[in-house]
Amino acid sequence: MQAVAILSVLLLLLFGAWLAAILDRAGNALVAGDRVRTAAVRPLHDLAAHLSRQTTTTEAPDRLNWRLAPVAYLALAALGLSVVPLAPGVVAADFDAGIVLWGACEALTVVVVFLHGWSANSEFPLIGGYRYVAIGLPVMLISMFVLIAAALPAESLSVAAIVESQREIWNVVRQPIGLPLFLLLGLSLTLRGPFDYADSDDLIGGTRAEASGAQLAAWQFARLAMLASVSVMASAVFLGGYLGPVLPGALWLILKSGVVLAVLIAAGHLLARMPPSRMMTFIWTVLLPLSFLDLVLVGAELLIWG
Amino acid sequence: MAVAALRRLALRGPVPVHAAIGTDALAAVDDLSLDPRISVQQSPRHAAILLVAGPLRDEDRSDLCRLHDQLPHPRATVFWRTDPAIQIADPPVVSVEDDAAATIASVYRSLIEEGRPSEPDLQPDTPPNPWRGKGDHGQGGEGMMGGTPYGRPMAMTGDDLRDGLQLDPYTAEFGPFLPVFPPGLKLRITLQGDVIQFAKVLRPPLPQEEQSGPSAALRRIARQLRLLGLTGQAARALRLASVGDGKAAGVRRLRRLVKWSGSGQAIPPGLGRVGGADVRDRLAAWWEVASGETAEARAPDRTLVDLLPGLEWSEAMLVLNSFDIATLTGMCPIEKREDKAHSEEEKDAPEPHDHDGHQDQMRGAA
Repeated sequence: MQAVAILSVLLLLLFGAWLAAILDRAGNALVAGDRVRTAAVRPLHDLAAHLSRQTTTTEAPDRLNWRLAPVAYLALAALGLSVVPLAPGVVAADFDAGIVLWGACEALTVVVVFLHGWSANSEFPLIGGYRYVAIGLPVMLISMFVLIAAALPAESLSVAAIVESQREIWNVVRQPIGLPLFLLLGLSLTLRGPFDYADSDDLIGGTRAEASGAQLAAWQFARLAMLASVSVMASAVFLGGYLGPVLPGALWLILKSGVVLAVLIAAGHLLARMPPSRMMTFIWTVLLPLSFLDLVLVGAELLIWG
Repeated sequence: MAVAALRRLALRGPVPVHAAIGTDALAAVDDLSLDPRISVQQSPRHAAILLVAGPLRDEDRSDLCRLHDQLPHPRATVFWRTDPAIQIADPPVVSVEDDAAATIASVYRSLIEEGRPSEPDLQPDTPPNPWRGKGDHGQGGEGMMGGTPYGRPMAMTGDDLRDGLQLDPYTAEFGPFLPVFPPGLKLRITLQGDVIQFAKVLRPPLPQEEQSGPSAALRRIARQLRLLGLTGQAARALRLASVGDGKAAGVRRLRRLVKWSGSGQAIPPGLGRVGGADVRDRLAAWWEVASGETAEARAPDRTLVDLLPGLEWSEAMLVLNSFDIATLTGMCPIEKREDKAHSEEEKDAPEPHDHDGHQDQMRGAA
């Protein structure tokens, strides 16, 4: 069963990234008022174009870290996803503190993105790396509070237990502030839209400004895979994961994750990005207190009705 | 077999193009970016075709050579609305009337199918500075810090403008082809993290046609939207700018879409205040013009180099792109000496930094 789960994790990442690439293009065309020309094979065209170009290098990069950063990013997406039960009893890495492992993957994502920016030995990637660390830290704090709140009703740090605790009522209803905050984390982990402080256009692509060819393709794929991973995690923790009537559990998980994925992509295209210092103020003074409030409300609710 | 399949697939996508924009070519490149056969890339590393659009100044040519060498192989250069500015064998030149996208697509096809050889480097692939190190580690300075190992200045700590912490300042030249700068503008900037400590104008922006009217306002709005991460909305603004009349309803819809994005709140209030108007005010005035109304022009009372210090990079880019190019040029007085003698330019930087070094990898792009 575990072998099936591990294989499913890899397939979820692959097809999730593919779906994300298609939706991303369609979303951009819709917002641009363009004809939606996207096709299922379109991501393959982009991949082939990347692969047909040279992977350049800069003068004196930290070569090991530069080449490893996309791989590590992808590995974190896979590792984070591995603790999510895909169907009752089907989980790649079933251990008691799954949500802590996910938290570790979030924190290490900040490190990996910084390394990607740092190791290129060039100014725009470096600035992207700096900015990402500054924003990433408080965003991770938000996520910790939100995830602890989600774990409280389950009285367990295992993701499987968190899913099971939602049999009567989904966490999105019980703790409505949690899901939007977690989605903001998702935007940050995937360097997307209003939280894209690492790879944004004002830095000519930021940490990936110097990447080309196969290396760029790997980085872009890792970003999309992380988006798939975040979507699955969000649907497990807040939308009841595989729980649902009639259809098989795995299908429910995929459907819910697809919806979350679409919401994340839409948010990425529709919301404006603030300059980093303004965002920093917004996170520390508005979003973090909101995440405290979420935790307090869940705690009070469990004390009174628990 | 596999390689042939890969090529076929690659050719079915749009051509990744990086544009080096010269005089009177910004609007044309904006229009070209809407062509589905083309995908304009911000970084030269992500492109296969270097599009040189519009005439350049003589002093921009060495920057263009550096930019050219940053494109990954296979690569080619297409000159549009200009004669070839740099030495390239058999360069495709497209006049104003021709279909630039078609030429770019055919050059890309022959490049991928190996009918056309990839262009070699224009500059020697050698370190830009000789070994000038001194001391135990060749660092040339005291202890582990400072000095110019291999001719690359090491950062020394300096005061931070915001909080009095001592952080490493870092000086580099940006421009004249940086996509987030107005075309032609070249600045020397000292940064601490992403905060600008010091800026100096080395070359002013190049003049661009079409400086008034709804279309020009929409193009400027598009640049701001891109900086705010709203690329789809920016493309919509450019499409509206490229059509002649009857765009009032489209502008209204776009304005609503942009309002929902929270862009009004995203730009800090009071940012880049010049002549009593900040970035928000200038953006609002452009929306008025785009909707067919008139907005009063205010004369700038500050220079660009006064405006930038203390701003984060992304704030600075919002400020830089909140002026039309004629106004910005008026805010960029430069001393004559700097145009002639590059080697003397470093004298009045706050730190003794000579950044012809390795951190200038992006400078051509920059």
